Amino acid sequence: MPAYRISLFAGIALVTACAHARVGTGVSGAGAREAPDESCLLSTGSVSGRVATITIGLTDAVDPRHAPLPRNDAERLVFRHLYETPLRLDCDGHAHAELAGSWVKDDAGRRWTIHLRDGAQFWDGAPVTARDIVFGRSGVGYTLGALEARVVTMTLAKSQDDVPPVLGDPALAVVKPAPDSSWPIGTGPYWATSATTTAQEIRAHSSRGDTLLFKVAASGDARDLLDAGVDLLVTRDRALRDYAATLQNFTVVALPWDRTYVFVSGDGGAARFDAGGLEQAVHAEARRAEGDFWWRDLRACGIARDTAPPAPTSKRILYSRGDQTARELAGRLAALTHAVATGRAPDDFSAALAGGKEWGYVVPLPRVTADACRSARDLLPTWPAAFTALVDTRPTAIVRRGVARWTVDQDGTVHLAP
Amino acid sequence: MKFRTRLLISFGVVVLVPLLVFGLGIRREMSKRVTAQYKGRVDALVNVISADIARESDRIGARLAALKSSLVADDRFRSWVVRGENRGYVLDYAGDAMRLAGLDFLQIQDDEGRVVSSGHFRNEYDRLGPAVPGSGLALVRAAAAEGSFLALVTSDSLRIPPRRFRLIGGIAVDSQFLARLARDPELSVGLVLPNDATNADSGKLIVELPPLPYVDATEGPGRVEQARIVVTPSSAPLTALQRNVNLWFAAAVLVAALVALLLAGWLSTRISEPLEARIAIGDIARQVNHDIKNGLAPLRNVFRHLTQVARDKPVELPQVFAERQGTVESSISYLETLAANYAKLSPQSERKATDVNSVVRETIGASGAVRTKLAEGLPPVSADALVLRRVIENLLSNAADSLEGKNGTVTVTTERGNGMVRIAVSDTGRGMSKAELDRAFDDFYTTKPGGTGLGLSIVRRLVLDSNGSLNVETELGQGSTFIVEIPVLS
Repeated sequence: MPAYRISLFAGIALVTACAHARVGTGVSGAGAREAPDESCLLSTGSVSGRVATITIGLTDAVDPRHAPLPRNDAERLVFRHLYETPLRLDCDGHAHAELAGSWVKDDAGRRWTIHLRDGAQFWDGAPVTARDIVFGRSGVGYTLGALEARVVTMTLAKSQDDVPPVLGDPALAVVKPAPDSSWPIGTGPYWATSATTTAQEIRAHSSRGDTLLFKVAASGDARDLLDAGVDLLVTRDRALRDYAATLQNFTVVALPWDRTYVFVSGDGGAARFDAGGLEQAVHAEARRAEGDFWWRDLRACGIARDTAPPAPTSKRILYSRGDQTARELAGRLAALTHAVATGRAPDDFSAALAGGKEWGYVVPLPRVTADACRSARDLLPTWPAAFTALVDTRPTAIVRRGVARWTVDQDGTVHLAP
Repeated sequence: MKFRTRLLISFGVVVLVPLLVFGLGIRREMSKRVTAQYKGRVDALVNVISADIARESDRIGARLAALKSSLVADDRFRSWVVRGENRGYVLDYAGDAMRLAGLDFLQIQDDEGRVVSSGHFRNEYDRLGPAVPGSGLALVRAAAAEGSFLALVTSDSLRIPPRRFRLIGGIAVDSQFLARLARDPELSVGLVLPNDATNADSGKLIVELPPLPYVDATEGPGRVEQARIVVTPSSAPLTALQRNVNLWFAAAVLVAALVALLLAGWLSTRISEPLEARIAIGDIARQVNHDIKNGLAPLRNVFRHLTQVARDKPVELPQVFAERQGTVESSISYLETLAANYAKLSPQSERKATDVNSVVRETIGASGAVRTKLAEGLPPVSADALVLRRVIENLLSNAADSLEGKNGTVTVTTERGNGMVRIAVSDTGRGMSKAELDRAFDDFYTTKPGGTGLGLSIVRRLVLDSNGSLNVETELGQGSTFIVEIPVLS
C-alpha cells in the first residue's frame, strides 16, 4: 500500500473522535494559554525547527469586511489566525484560554468572572480592556459586564458547570476598526493590513517575525497551489484530495464533519423526497446527515416568527452559486421533485432565503456552534420553515509534512498550534 | 369644353390606358415569376435542411459509436456493472464524455430506461430517462437542473454482460441551431411541438419537413409524439420587390402622362390655333352680316316708302323725304360707325354719359308697332350709345320676330333702379320653352328660319362689356321680357 494512503487513513482515524465532539467538558475554575490537547493535533510528522514563512492555500476569496465572522472556509482559516475570542474550543470541546487568562465560576455556575490575559493588546499596541469585550455585545441567555478594567463578568440565565462555550463564539472576537485599512484591528498573534494584502495573497505577520502567507488559487485550479508548494490547503474537493494523495511530501487528513446541508422549505408537505443516497450526488466528501442538530430546538432563543410567506408560484430550489455541493444537492432534489434549481450570488441568496418566496432552499449550516441563538439569527429564516437535513460534509486538510504543527478546533477550523 | 381641352383629354386617354394595361400586365407577370422563383429557393433550402439534419444524425451516431467502444473497454465502468464499484466515476462519466464528444446531451440508460449517468444533469441518476424510439432521430425535451432544453438525439446500445445499456446522445436545438439550419436570412426555421400553438394556419407560407418523433421528458420518461420542423419564408423580399415595381410603374405612368400632356399641349396649339382663328373669323363674318342687315333694314323701308310715295303721291314726295331724311342719315351714320369699328377688328366701345330714353326713341323711330313706357328724369348711364342701340335693335328685332306675323304688342319700358337704369323689351309672342331658354344665348342657336343665331349672343356680350346685366322672363305661349340693366354714370 502506498505511503500516502497510510497517512490518509491515519489522519482520518485521528480526527474521527473530533467528528463527534460536543461541548461540555471544558476547564472550569482557572485557565491559561496552554498547549492544545494532543488529540486535536493533525498528524503531520515531527517538526524539526521553526519556519519563518508558512504558506497556506485558499480556495475561496477572503473579504476583510466580513471579519471576524467568516462566511466561507477561507475566511474561517484566515480570521482564526488574526482575531481572538475569550476562549477557544478544541476539537474535543475543551476550552483553552485566548484573550481570557483565567476564569472563575460563582453563584453555582450562573456567574462567571473572566480575567483578561496579561499583556493582551491590539495590533496597534493598545491594551485590551473589559469594555472592548463587553461593549455592544449581548446574546440570548447571557449578559456581559465589565467589572474592572481587565475583568469581565458573564451572567447566565441558566447555571452551567463548565465555562460557557459561547465565549468561544466568533461573534465575541475582539476587533476595532482600522482608520487606514480594510482589515479591522484584532488581538491575534498575526496581523494584516491593506498594505499586506493583494487580490492573490494576504501576508499576516507576527511580533516574533513569522509570516503567514495566504495564497488564493488564482487560476481556479487549487492543484496549482499544491504544485507551487503551499504548506496547508483545506479543501472539500475530493479530486484535489486524491491529487494531493499522490504527492510525496503531503499528508491528507480528513477533518471533522463540520457542515450539514439542509433543505429549507415553507411547504413541508410538498417537499417529500427520498433523501437516501444523496451523498452520491455530491463531489465533496459526504455522508447521510446525522446527529442532534442545534436548529431543531430554538425555543430558548425567543426568536419572533414572521408570518408564512405566500405560496410560491413555481417550483424552484435556490442555492448559493459559489457552493458546488449546494448546487449538486439542489440539482438532485430538482431531479427527485421535478423542480428547477437556480443559483444566486451569496448575498442575493441570503436575501431570498430571508424572503421565503421560493419553493425551497439548499442551505449549508455548521454542525457545531458555540451560540445557537446567534447562528439561528444569522443563518436561518424567521418565517415558519421545515428543515430537512440532507448530508453532512467535511473538509480535508492537505498538510506538508514537518513544517508546522496544526490543530483543529471544535468547529473544524484548522490553525497553527500555539 | 374647349377643343384644346378635349384634345388633351383624348390624348391622355389614348396614351395612358394602354400604358396602364401594359404596366399592370408586366407587374402581374413579374410577381408571378418572382413568387415562383422564391418558392423554388424555399424548396431547395428545405432539401438542404433535410440533408443537414441527416448529416447531424450521422455525426451524432458516429460519436455515440466511438463512446460505445470506449465504454465497452472501460474497466472502471465494467467494475461498476459487475461489482457495483466506482459509482462516482460512472455518475461523472457521461458529463466528461459528453464534453469530449462535443455533444450537448448524453445519457446512459439501463435496460429499464433508468438513467445510469447523465451528461447534462449529473444528478438525475436512477430517474427514468426519456423514452426515445429505438432508432433514428428524435427530438427530446430533456430536464436539467436549471430547467429544460430541447435536443436532437439518436441512440445506440451496448451490452456488458449481464446487463444491456443504451447510449442516447444529441445536440441542443436552440435558436442558434435553427438559425444555422436556415442559412438564408429571408427564411426562418422553427419547430412546432405537440400542443404548440404555433401559427401553422396563420396564412404564412409554411413548408414542413417530415415529422420527427418527440418526447417530453421533463417530468418522466414521456411518450412519443410528433414534432415538425417548419420553414417559414419571409414575405418581406417579395413585398419589397412588388413595392419597388409599383413605385417604378407609378413613376413611369407619371412621366408618360407628363410627356403626353406636353405633347398634347404642343399639338393642340399647332392644330387648334388656326382652327379657332377660322372659327372666330366665321363668327365675325356672321356678326358683320347681321349688323349690316340691321343697318340696311331702315334704309330699305325708307326707300320703299319713298318709291311708293313717288308713284302714288309724287306731290308729297319732298315732304315725306324731309320726314324720313333723319332715319336715312341715322342708318347711314350707324353703318359708318359699324364699319369704323370693324375696321379696328377689335372694336372698343366708348363709354360716356348716355341718355337711355334718347337712344330708345332714336332706335324705335317712327315705328308705330312698338309701344314705349319711358320713365322721366332718368340719370345718364355709362355706356356707348351705339352699343346700346345695337342691343335695343337686336332685342326689338327678336321681339317682332316672336310675334310671327300675328297680332301682338312689343313694348319698351325704361325705369330707374338702384344705381342703374333698367330697359325692358317685352313682347306677347310665342315665348320660350325651358330648353330654348337654356340655349338662347349660345352662339349660332336660332329658332328662326334663316336666322344667324348670333343676336342674343351679341346682345349678352355687349351688355356684359358695358358692365351691365341681361335677364329673361319668358313663358311659352305668353311672350318674353328681356331686361337690360346698365349702371348709372357715377
